[in-house]
Amino acid sequence: MSLPLRWPTPDGLPPRALWVTVGGVLLLLVLSAPLVEFNPLFLLGKLDDMGSFVLRMFEKAPPLDYLPQLGQKMLETLEMAVLATLIATALSLPIGILAARNATPHPLVGQIMRDVLSFFRALPELVWALVFVSAIGLGPFPGVLAIAVVSLGFMAKFFAEAIEVTDTGPVEGIAATGASRMQVRLFAMLPQALPDFVGTLLYVLDHNIRAATVLGIVGAGGIGFDLINSIRYFEFERLIVILLAIYLAVTLVDRLSDRLRDRIIIGGGYRHGS
Amino acid sequence: MAANTHVPPLPPRPRNLFSLWGTLTLGLAWLIAVHLEISPKTLIYGWQDILEYFGRYGSPDFSQTPEYLKLMLETIAMGFWGTVFAFIVGFLIAPFAARNLSPKAWTYNLAREVLNFMRAVPDVLLALIFVASLGLGPLPGALALGVHTAGFLGKFFAESLERVDRGRYEALDAVGAGFSQKLMYAGWPSILREMSGYTLYILDRNIRTGAVLGLVGAGGIGIALYDTLRMFDYDQSAALLILMIVTIMLLDRLSSLIRSKLQ
Repeated sequence: MSLPLRWPTPDGLPPRALWVTVGGVLLLLVLSAPLVEFNPLFLLGKLDDMGSFVLRMFEKAPPLDYLPQLGQKMLETLEMAVLATLIATALSLPIGILAARNATPHPLVGQIMRDVLSFFRALPELVWALVFVSAIGLGPFPGVLAIAVVSLGFMAKFFAEAIEVTDTGPVEGIAATGASRMQVRLFAMLPQALPDFVGTLLYVLDHNIRAATVLGIVGAGGIGFDLINSIRYFEFERLIVILLAIYLAVTLVDRLSDRLRDRIIIGGGYRHGS
Repeated sequence: MAANTHVPPLPPRPRNLFSLWGTLTLGLAWLIAVHLEISPKTLIYGWQDILEYFGRYGSPDFSQTPEYLKLMLETIAMGFWGTVFAFIVGFLIAPFAARNLSPKAWTYNLAREVLNFMRAVPDVLLALIFVASLGLGPLPGALALGVHTAGFLGKFFAESLERVDRGRYEALDAVGAGFSQKLMYAGWPSILREMSGYTLYILDRNIRTGAVLGLVGAGGIGIALYDTLRMFDYDQSAALLILMIVTIMLLDRLSSLIRSKLQ
């Protein structure tokens, strides 16, 4: 080890921008400490409570008779996430084209679309779920709608941005053959934007599975309902099983999507002459 | 250039499997919809009810605004504390989770797994657990946000460290630099801009998510929204929703402005 290190600046001292940023952040932390009710002594005193909370999850044997219901609920959770992602994907292709500055039929339409999408994104899934549950009742349907709305906001935005940064060469090339505006979008813009879009899609699917696991808290279907109940009724042996199941499902999908992303974005493309 | 007499063979016409994949996807969606017992009928026959329901949000009541603004401020503070926590933890773990820098194979695997674990548990869930073990209030919320997003920031930073031009690391290797020196002189300086971009994005996200943590008792504006919706007090709910949307959209604009300045 060769500490202490000189800073990579001419005088070997930390740059001023760093001092200013760190100082500003520290000041804000101190100022906002009362707002988050931060109290180190309180936290230290609570360490025991946290320990006993964790221990209580392992006190009793895991409830084996609960496993079938767990499987069913996890399946429901995954299905909600997949269905919502599919709906959002189908809608985000046309809406993304309408929202992209270089593909929109009219600048006003583009601006309106971008504002609507930003409105969809502004509220997290749980809030949308609360509203939809009040509107159409309990069950997975409001959950699917809630996830789909937020995903649409994100996917259409990213898709529009991917279209906006496409190379103009192919666009001009196809336009020069006398293609219509629709054909230019289909054959010059879409093929360039799609690889990015697939990356976004996988990222959103990943996020949606996580989101679907908690929507049950407000009655919108999935494993979340069992989860909140096991906390409410202090059934900690059930809680740990649910947590493990969620962890496993999320990790599996994460790994799978990482692999798919590598194949599609890096390795899957056509290589001339190979 | 000489005239090209050799015409390379045309690449094979790519197979177009679009119709196959399209059909399969539609079939999957249909199966899931049937299994979840989702019937579009609810939407088609119930659209009047739904419109009537959304009509109830028509007259927002802004009389409680100062109190709500205070709650919103609490939400923002929660997101800020969570982000600082996430930044510190991510900053410490990331070098070990970068394949090209991690000193040993096991440190790489361990750091990767820790980050994966932090990312895997959703923050609302973490908040539930922290509230159950630490009690109500914004602090468990900030902790939950911090732990969850530390996994993201650590992963992002590690990936950025992996993408740094290898020449920079090799130059330092050549003068006999160790792990910490490579980080200090090649790693962090090369990714400063990306790091600040990611951190701003996470701050944005944490404030957004912080708005719902109140639903599980972790402080912030979510509590007020949950209470007003439960008591069917639509005027107050509408005011809260509008306040949340406006604040979040403003913050969104602000952070994208800062991000574009950084580049």
